[in-house]
Amino acid sequence: MTNLTVWVLLMPLLGFIILGLIGRAMSRRGILAVALGASGLAFLFTVISFLSMLGTTPASARFSDQVFYTWINSGVTVGVAPLTISFGLLFDPLSAIMLMVVTGVGFLIHIYSAGYMEDDPGFWRFFCYMNFFIFAMVLLVSADNFLFLLIGWGLVGLASFLLIGFWYTRRTAVAAAQKALVINVIGDFGLMIAIFLIFKHYGVLNYFTNSNGNIGVFNQVTAGGIPTISTTIICLLLFLACTAKSAQLPLYMWLPDAMEGPTPVSALIHAATMVTAGVYLVARANPLFQVSPTALIVVAITGGITALFAASIAVFQLDIKRVLAYSTISQLGYMFMGEGAHNYSGGIFLLTEHAFFKALLFLAAGAVIHSLGGEQDMREMGGLRYRLKITFWTFLIGALAISGIPPLAGFWSKDDILSSLLANATSGGGRVFYLLWGIGILTAGLTAFYMFRLFFGIFAGGYRGTGSAEHAQEEEEDDIKHGHQPRSDYEINESPAIMTVPMIILAVLSIVGGFVGSFALFGDLSWHPFATFLNPVFTNPNWTNVPVQVPVDTLSIGWLSTGLSVGLSLIGILGAWTLYRNGFFYKENKNPFYQLVLHKYYVDEFFILVLIRPVLWMGRTATRLLERDVLDGGSRSIGRVFIGASGLLRRIQTGYVRNYALAILIGALLIIVYYAVRG
Amino acid sequence: MSLNLTWYLIVSAIIFTVGVTGVLIRRNPLIIFMSIELMLNAVNLSFIAFSHYLNSVDGQMFVFLVLTVAAAEVVVGLAIIVSIFRTRRDIDVDDMNVLRG
Repeated sequence: MTNLTVWVLLMPLLGFIILGLIGRAMSRRGILAVALGASGLAFLFTVISFLSMLGTTPASARFSDQVFYTWINSGVTVGVAPLTISFGLLFDPLSAIMLMVVTGVGFLIHIYSAGYMEDDPGFWRFFCYMNFFIFAMVLLVSADNFLFLLIGWGLVGLASFLLIGFWYTRRTAVAAAQKALVINVIGDFGLMIAIFLIFKHYGVLNYFTNSNGNIGVFNQVTAGGIPTISTTIICLLLFLACTAKSAQLPLYMWLPDAMEGPTPVSALIHAATMVTAGVYLVARANPLFQVSPTALIVVAITGGITALFAASIAVFQLDIKRVLAYSTISQLGYMFMGEGAHNYSGGIFLLTEHAFFKALLFLAAGAVIHSLGGEQDMREMGGLRYRLKITFWTFLIGALAISGIPPLAGFWSKDDILSSLLANATSGGGRVFYLLWGIGILTAGLTAFYMFRLFFGIFAGGYRGTGSAEHAQEEEEDDIKHGHQPRSDYEINESPAIMTVPMIILAVLSIVGGFVGSFALFGDLSWHPFATFLNPVFTNPNWTNVPVQVPVDTLSIGWLSTGLSVGLSLIGILGAWTLYRNGFFYKENKNPFYQLVLHKYYVDEFFILVLIRPVLWMGRTATRLLERDVLDGGSRSIGRVFIGASGLLRRIQTGYVRNYALAILIGALLIIVYYAVRG
Repeated sequence: MSLNLTWYLIVSAIIFTVGVTGVLIRRNPLIIFMSIELMLNAVNLSFIAFSHYLNSVDGQMFVFLVLTVAAAEVVVGLAIIVSIFRTRRDIDVDDMNVLRG
């Protein structure tokens, strides 16, 4: 099996280094050549490795763990084995899928960005950060031990921070970047403590037994012997990291604000790839989660609550990117629900399909924003279906896909998760799964509703804008009236091909991407290539004491779940059509419940009140009392003592030679007297 | 009353004291230099006296050394005085207190 993971990792790193060092002096063409070359080559190497993996049989041979360098060799046995930490890259079906998503979607968004960021003065900086992100994400998904996972985890957080605050002259962007960093660090802290505990209990950090002879964490888990309570704590801490990175309750607040970054960043980092790192981590650590049912239930419940909560907020948002952001949070919750129901491959499946259609939706939203000169408010849009034809169609495909309308991608992945939730509920997984299944169905309906509210808001009715675009339109009509040729830049124009082509590719993937899902619904039990491909990661014959609950899909249950979710989605779309088919007209609504949801349940306000205000107050008080009075005052009084003392001493320094001579004389006399007296 | 070591040392001490007093109270640098020479030569006198009474030439050796150093010191000192005189037209040591702290 050809494994080029290390080259996949090196290419974006190289691009980042080149752009970071000399990008400022390079021409735009040169910058594009480096950035697109790096991400394109990374994708190419991934595809080669992926195809080689597909050609490898049997499936259990699809595993490669290359150790490049032993970083730490402590030689001290703590716990079970001496700690050895190596830089190694793991290439198995799970990381292969993740690499395909990261580099593939990443490459498409690099191309799109070439058009979107064309006029930005920070062109080189943008691509430098983007390449850096790809590098960090590749490291995250292909590291073969928890320490390098943590490094990648931290670096993607840094890339996210840099790109959210990309327009650093905007106060809101800088504030959003700081918020994202602070909340992510809470998660990083959880991951760190989880890694400490893993080291304490297992003595190693590598996932699987490697060529250094360290017995891997997961191998030890499957062999048993570690108390479940420790595993549960480790899993909960790992999941804390996931909630921060993947924007789940209670640490989701940073993601909507992250929309302050450029739209390609929102598409790549805050929708398609980085935020799915948590989903990846739970899937990667599935042996741990499998032995700790408590942690898995927590994952499922958190995911379920988040899915519904975020979807309800998305219904009333007015900023198109924020609607998509809350939709992302909701979909991530869906993925965690699936993983919580032991359906890891379902979670990864939705992750992959979501990367397609959510990246598409963001890119289409970016194209809308781009053509309106930066307008993001739905109230200022409308009637764009004629002017932005390609964007219109691709957005429609994305919206249908995310709403779970068959046969588009979202249908297969959402259905997979819903049916496994229901199967868990019926086969004794606990009553909570009925509730989660209900939440899933309800969320599906809500998703369809808010997506089509957004869709009609942008494209239906007439143009409602009052900004420069409308002004331009008037001038355009004026020109035509007076018989002039209208200037082309007055119009709201479709984006250039460099932006629309990636959207079209993603739209095609959103249509056909779902067909690798399970066809069990139609009685064909043999066709589920995606799950089969991931199977070696999620079921291991060596696992003896793992109580794997395989969800039992029976046909009638499957159809019940599918019928309900598709039906509710259609009702959602119909509802949006009834309300908004003539365009989105905003009315002030004083209903307290409406206000509650519109203000995102006042979560930000709550945290400002209970957390930020007190901390700021403490800081200011500390500045006043501790810094000014105690520390500054203290050091100043030390200074004053010395000034006073030296003021006295320097009187001696008269500058008259005679005084010095006298001092020498007196000194000499004293010495003589001393010896004379002492005898 | 024979002329023994004590008398030499007394003379030496008197000369030395005269020198010290001169250094401390005079304001003309040339006089101060002369006073320093007096101190040095008072020491030389005691060296010679000890040398004679202890039957050792070590003291005389030191005298040569002191003479040499004194000559060098005078050369440097006079040069400094001349250059001060050139810049200030005045060599009163009481005015030379720019190093006052």
